[in-house]
Amino acid sequence: MMFPEKMIVLDQANHDEAADNGHPFPVASASVIANDAVDMEVLNAFEELQRDDGSDLIVELIDLYLLDAAERVSQIREASIATEWVLLKRAAHNLKGSSGNLGVRQVAEICQKLEWVDRHDSPTAVAALIQLLEYESAMASSSLLALRQRRLG
Amino acid sequence: MRILIAEDDAVSRRILETFLWKWGYEVTTTVNGEAAWDVMQRPNAPSLAILDIMMPGIDGLELCRRLRRSPSNVPPYIILLTANQGVREIVKGIEAGADDYLTKPYDRDELRVRVQVGARIIELQTKLSERVEQLEVALNHVKQLEGILPICSYCKKIRNDSNNWQHVESYVSDHSQAEFSHGICPSCYESTVKPQLESLRISESSESDFSN
Repeated sequence: MMFPEKMIVLDQANHDEAADNGHPFPVASASVIANDAVDMEVLNAFEELQRDDGSDLIVELIDLYLLDAAERVSQIREASIATEWVLLKRAAHNLKGSSGNLGVRQVAEICQKLEWVDRHDSPTAVAALIQLLEYESAMASSSLLALRQRRLG
Repeated sequence: MRILIAEDDAVSRRILETFLWKWGYEVTTTVNGEAAWDVMQRPNAPSLAILDIMMPGIDGLELCRRLRRSPSNVPPYIILLTANQGVREIVKGIEAGADDYLTKPYDRDELRVRVQVGARIIELQTKLSERVEQLEVALNHVKQLEGILPICSYCKKIRNDSNNWQHVESYVSDHSQAEFSHGICPSCYESTVKPQLESLRISESSESDFSN
């Protein structure tokens, strides 16, 4: 694995809990919450936009992001296997946008690099970049899920 | 003021919608260019549109071109959202008919003031359009009073478009914004009114003599 120092082991119980809740990513432990995958200041800035109807915009944005990110990462993986660079770039572009909006900076940065990928790049380098994307995306999703749970009490 | 958002990314769309709602705008959201085009074809379509350049199907640039080709008294103010800071994409956007652009990720205050500029331009265009409409109506009245009018040499009635003879006062009132107040000119006073008054006075004086 390329990034052993960053890797976390997610236990089966967390996996099962996440699956029961219908989320594509496992719930994070406290140590994972502390990672720098998500810039919480960016998310906290949305507090001032909350409506008075009892809904939670931040939870809503997290839900939208988690659904979207899982699909985009999958699209990027499939497009790289099929060497469909236009599709890969489009999915990376979209994921970059939504990640940037929520302060998921590492994912946004990797997506920016993926936007420049083309047929001249070595397949190994592209695969490594996608592997990094999947890792950072999982980290960010864990943090976001933890925040979501905290907000819902 | 109503604003259309065309953005395929759900997170960006929700954030943009929330900002605009918070600032007091009425927002319509669409997830692609086709849906946005449909909304803009409806009567009372939004007057300002924020379009993401990169969308599947009809993209922001093509949508912009279509909106500019479709006739409108007050054309929508269009802000393009671009992820690319390159000059070429911005030039392409403006050439396609956009009024302004914002580069993602945008600053919320920058978004707010750019939307305000758009709202000001739309207000000016709307006022201008209303004035033009008023002028066209006035001009139409003026045109209706031009040309040859058949008028009776004796009673001075005018033959109108329905081939009826109409008093000159009512004809002019119907075909312009002029209204008449009635008075007597000095010449008519001397030639018509004064003799009539004189005659009346004589008549009254005779009646008085007769009764005495």
